[in-house]
Amino acid sequence: MGDMSRTLLGIASAAVGLLVVTVPQSSHLQASVASVSEMAPVDRVLLHRLQERYKNLSRRLSQFAPHETYILVDTARNRLYVKRQGEVLVDAMASTGSGTVLDKPGVGHDQWVFDTPRGEFVVQSKLTHPVWVKPDWAFIEEGMAVPRNAAERVESGVLGEYALGFGKGYFIHGTLYPRLLGKSVTHGCIRLDDGDLKSVYQLARVGTPILIF
Amino acid sequence: MHLCALLVILLLFQTASWGTEYGAFPDIEKNDAATLEEASRVLDEELKLAARSQAYLLIDLVTRMIEVKARGVALHRIPVAEWSASSIEQMTKTFRLNARPPILRRKLDPSSVAEQEPIAPTDMPTQYVLTFTPALSVEIAPVAQEGLSRWAWWHGVRWWRQLGRWTSSFVGGQPTQIEPALRLSLSVEQAQSLAWSLVDEMALVIRRPAAK
Repeated sequence: MGDMSRTLLGIASAAVGLLVVTVPQSSHLQASVASVSEMAPVDRVLLHRLQERYKNLSRRLSQFAPHETYILVDTARNRLYVKRQGEVLVDAMASTGSGTVLDKPGVGHDQWVFDTPRGEFVVQSKLTHPVWVKPDWAFIEEGMAVPRNAAERVESGVLGEYALGFGKGYFIHGTLYPRLLGKSVTHGCIRLDDGDLKSVYQLARVGTPILIF
Repeated sequence: MHLCALLVILLLFQTASWGTEYGAFPDIEKNDAATLEEASRVLDEELKLAARSQAYLLIDLVTRMIEVKARGVALHRIPVAEWSASSIEQMTKTFRLNARPPILRRKLDPSSVAEQEPIAPTDMPTQYVLTFTPALSVEIAPVAQEGLSRWAWWHGVRWWRQLGRWTSSFVGGQPTQIEPALRLSLSVEQAQSLAWSLVDEMALVIRRPAAK
């Protein structure tokens, strides 16, 4: 029995020692643990409830985080990342919206604003060998008349090998001007070089979240 | 001996869970009731925002960090050098940004052959005041401009505004409240980065240091 007690005491001492060594901010926690032991039982119950509530809320918030692959776009620094569970799978230089404006023809003060939209989106379409159906602003910007025939709007070979649509005409696509990557020069779409675009295309699926800030 | 082994396993499990379960705020003082209450209040607000498809801001006055967040995940962090606040006890809601700082957008001219320069974060202001609904103002000032004169100027402007409110409420016979205000000192680059990241009606939650 004496041996048993000594064994128990030894194991308990070792475990307490381990606790003190392994817990981060140990000096702070030791002080806190001491203050908890001095608490009235009713305070300890209250503290336990608060700890449980905090843990529960933290857990619930973490459930909103994307658990699958997602795309993150930093428009200030013109970078695109593909991430999964905190791991960075792709870190690419991109080009995002220029922030410039163009007057719409006609009376009034309507303008096109060439910003990349911010917020959360999802990949809605994945295209190979995409063609660009030029919108009105593409002609007006160049001082040309807007064609009446839709076929005259189609231009191939300018968007690269792949395109990922995320709504309202915005795409992640390739570029003919890789020297401009890292600069805000687009009309709102997100441009990548050929290699990065291929990686993003392979990693993303329809429904992959895109977070843009 | 089986009992001993069980005891050791339980103690080790407890050790491991203490080491890893710091929840959403790694700096949390887990045995401080006021800190836990404040963290839980912030998490309650964040849960509503994380369910939406817009990014939101968390100003964490405890860790001195501004976080651009979406889905509860920090997308970008901006360190705060210094902060001061008035009526901090009122900073318990989710606030909505009335408007992002104005940007001088360059206009494209189809008749011109010259390419128009895009806007960049360096075009953003370094000093500005953000107003929110419900009433809250957040002044952003670059660190380099800190000093007694800047401090006096900020408080002077605040008291002047408050005097105006008191006067109008006195004339109108309505009770008045001191509007909460926050002042954050950031580096020039971080002030511009924050201005760039803001969007109209962006939500803001503030984590305050717990009162001791």
